Formats: sequence, structure tokens, C-alpha cells
Amino acid sequence: MIGQIFAPFADENIDYRSETYRDAYSRINAIVIEGEQEAHDNYIQLGELLPNLKAELASLAKMEIRHKKGFEACGRNLNVIPDLAFAKEFFNSLHGNFQKAFAIADVVTCLLIQSLIIECFAIAAYNIYIPVADDFARKITEGVVKDEYLHLNFGEVWLQENFATAKDGLEVANRQNLPLVWKMLNQVAKDAKVLGMEKDALVEDFMIQYGESLGKIGFNTREIMRMSAMGLVAA
Amino acid sequence: MFGLIGHLTSLAHAQAVAKDLGYEEYAGQGLEFWCMAPPQVVDDITVTSITGQVIQGKYVESCFLPEMLAAKQFKAATRKIINAMVYAQKQGIDITALGGFSSIIFETFNLSQIRQVRNIHLEIQKFTTGNTHTAYILCRQVEQTSIKFGIDLSKATVAVCGATGDIGSAVCKWLDARTDVKELVLVARNQERLQELRSQLGRGKVMGIEEALPIADIVVWVASMAKGMEIDVSTLKRPCVLIDGGYPKNMSTSIQIPDVYVINGGIVEHSIDIDWKIMKIVSMSAPARQLFACFAESMLLEFEGWHTNFSWGRNQITIENMDKIGAVSIKHGFRPLIA
Repeated sequence: MIGQIFAPFADENIDYRSETYRDAYSRINAIVIEGEQEAHDNYIQLGELLPNLKAELASLAKMEIRHKKGFEACGRNLNVIPDLAFAKEFFNSLHGNFQKAFAIADVVTCLLIQSLIIECFAIAAYNIYIPVADDFARKITEGVVKDEYLHLNFGEVWLQENFATAKDGLEVANRQNLPLVWKMLNQVAKDAKVLGMEKDALVEDFMIQYGESLGKIGFNTREIMRMSAMGLVAA
Repeated sequence: MFGLIGHLTSLAHAQAVAKDLGYEEYAGQGLEFWCMAPPQVVDDITVTSITGQVIQGKYVESCFLPEMLAAKQFKAATRKIINAMVYAQKQGIDITALGGFSSIIFETFNLSQIRQVRNIHLEIQKFTTGNTHTAYILCRQVEQTSIKFGIDLSKATVAVCGATGDIGSAVCKWLDARTDVKELVLVARNQERLQELRSQLGRGKVMGIEEALPIADIVVWVASMAKGMEIDVSTLKRPCVLIDGGYPKNMSTSIQIPDVYVINGGIVEHSIDIDWKIMKIVSMSAPARQLFACFAESMLLEFEGWHTNFSWGRNQITIENMDKIGAVSIKHGFRPLIA
């Protein structure tokens, strides 16, 4: 039998001021701050590749800077100094792949990395974080996650409109980049757990969001199942 | 549109099905992977009523496995159910049945308190446990098998294993009110609930399973167990009918002895073939016709345009609602599996 009544998503009495929490937060908070900064830079660069959409991309980029400021405030609120060097190193491979794609004007790969993978991951992580966040960070994160859905939508719409020519490129880019994301997640799984965020919940939420986006773009169920689980077990 | 949320009976079953369907990424994976796997629509279904009405539906695989409960992966288990429900709602499905453990997990873990999931407000009126129809079908299976195997209900003892559950208690109430069954034996783990049920019924003997089996002419199995149990077949009465409505099955013993009849409980046969893959996957002997009664409930609600949580909450099933769903079950061409 299943057991006693159990409140699965209840607050687990996290001590936000404890050394352990703040230590883990210094890395997770830095990742979020660096992630928002890189998202800003990526959207500005995407504007160079898609001149017709430059204004729209600039406005998305501006939102990312606002998010970054919000998360900086979350760190200050807990008296945490974000470990930005760790975060830069953390994003290094994914950042490198984006720059390589940008250098050869590979819009599809750039969009897959920023607009699908990073945005889906951000949405999953923020949604998992909200129920376990401190009050201050919860309000900020709730505002941010609403914006991230808009950013995701930008990539979905463009890739859907260009699906016929983008499909093969998306599969290649997915194969190259999604395994990096699982490795990145493993690197911070312990810290995330201290914050009350379970790795399997994060992966599941990511796969739900990413699968939904791939579906909107035009992939079928079989392709989605293959693509969204790519490299997960090996990581 | 109607929906069905289902799950497979074990990790080994899930791996075999993933392999069969050609989902290689899922086929070789262990429980940890299934704890992370998202819900998927794996079947589109068209059902035709004997009235000629045609409806469309979708099957949502939740990726829940009973081993998650055994391994105390309660968070994963609850996430599977909630995520599958949100996913069904996002597909635009009007009424979805929660098959197998889905509704039990929803009730046990009090998931009704969760209304906001990510950016979706969960509309629980769009979901039904399907338990009213399952209870109705089990009762009809008791009646019809008793006739088929020459058991006179007015002289018979019927034991209900899992009597205090949502389905079990409804079966007891219906058998008490609608049949002349001589003796009801109530089997369950929770003594307090057993006494409560007994006083509600104003009858019934409370017993342990070992005591109940030797005196029962018919046993209805509707306990929530992650794995089937072994039973000592030598103690069974002859003749005896065992109606196993568990999913996974309550009895793990395979029984092939004279005058002991095992019936696939809570299963209906439709009069017209249904074009789908999922019932083959759960090893129905006639997969185009046979299905779980709880799934059929969402089809019936769709046929009738009753887009409401017809079966909801623990022990809320009424005899009147069992009659009501039973009438439309017959109207659209479903009948209890007796073979």
C-alpha cells in the first residue's frame, strides 16, 4: 500500500540563512546571473544574423538584463556573493558552441541553443525553484518565468516557419548540445538539492517543456522522445 | 474529446513495451530514467457506439510505474500523475479517466490541493477516476458469473478484498442493495474503516484473507497493491469464482484447477472494434474489443456530453450513479467481460 497522506510539494523547512544554503546559493545564483547575461548577449548577436527581427531581439535582450538585476538582488537579499568565475566556466562549452555557430551564421543552431535549450531549462528550473524559494526570490522568479515563455515562443515561431529547412540542423545541434546540458545539470545537482530542487524533477520539467516546443515546431512524438532524451543516460 | 491516463504494470513491462514500439531511448532504461520521463500521447483513438455515434480520444502514458511506490519514490509518483493530467488538459481533452494507480495516488497524496502547475490551472472537473463504472461492471460480473457457473447468490458468500477502497465499498453497497447475496465478507487492512463500512451496510463479516478464501463462493479482488500476492489455491471452495479487478493483478498465482474460475475483473467488452494499440500492450485477450471499465467511463461521459468529474473523491460513489453509468454503458454497446 502507498502509505500515509503525504504533502509532496510542501515547504521542507529550508533555512535560507544557513551557511550550507548560502554556499550552494552562491553557485546557483551565479549561474542564473551569468545565464541571463549570456542570454542578453546571444539575443543581440542573433539580431545581427536576423536583421529583420533586430528590434524584437533587442527587446528580448533588454528583458534578460532586467532578469539579471532581479537575481542579483536575490543574492544580496541573502547576503550571498555569487561565484561568477564558477558560472563562466559552467557555461563555457555551451557558450563556445553558440559562438562557433554564430561565426558561420548558423541561425538554427544559435536558436536551438539559446531559444530552446537554455529557455526551456530556465523555465524548468525557475518553475521547480518557485515553490522552495525564499519570499523575496519567489516574487522575482515568478515575474521572470512569465517573460521566459515569451522568449521561448520567439524561437518556436521562427523554427516552425522554417521547419522544412531547419529540421536536419536542429537534430544535429540537439545531438551536440543537449548532452552538454545534462553534464551541466549533474555538476550542480548537489547544490540544487540543497535549495530543495530535485534533479529528476528538473529533468522531467525540462523534457516536458522541450518536448512541447519541439512538437510546436513540427517534430512528431517519436522524434521528440528520441531528441529530448538524447545523451541523458550517458551523462 | 476523451482521454485516458494509463501506466504499465512493472519496469520489465515498460521496457518490453518501449522496445516493441521502437522507443529505443526508453527501452533499456532503469527506474531512475522512468522517474524523469515526461508524459506522452502514444495513441489516438476512435470509438464508435452501437448508436452510430463516433468519438475521438487520446491515450496519455504517464510513465508512472508501481515500483516507484515500492521504492518510496513518492515525489516522482505524484509528479507523474500531476504532469500527465496537465498534459492531457493542454491537449484540449474534455474528459480524462485516471487509470490504474493514477486515481489512487491522486487521492492518497491529496493532490487535489495542487491547482496551479507551472502556467496551467488544473481543471479537475475534466477528470474522472472511472471508478463508478468499474464498480458497476464488477457487480455485473458477480451476477453474471454466478449464473454461468451455477452459483445461487441467495445461498452464496461473496468476499470483497479491498472492501474499504473507493471501488470495493461501492461494490459492497451495490451487492447489498441490488442483489440477494446471502453473505458479504469484508476484507481490508484498515480495521477502523472496516468497522465504519460494516455499520454503513448494517451487515457483513469482517475477516482476514486466509479465513475468507475457504468460505467464499465468489471473491472480488480490488485491493491497491503494487505487486500481486500468492494465494493458497488448495484452500479455495469448489466451485469458486475469483474476479480480479486489480491493476497490476491482485493475485500473482496462476490458477488452472477444475471448478476454480478466474475472471479478468473490471473489464468491459465493446460491441464494435476499436482501432488502437494500447490494449494489446496490456495483454488483453481481444485487444480491439476489451478495455478497462474506468477508461470506458471517460468514453461514456464523452458520448453523453457529460464533461464532468463523474467519479471523484474517496467513497463518494452512489448506487444511483452506478445505475446511471450502467444504463449508458449498455446503451453504447459495452458489456462486462465474462469469458
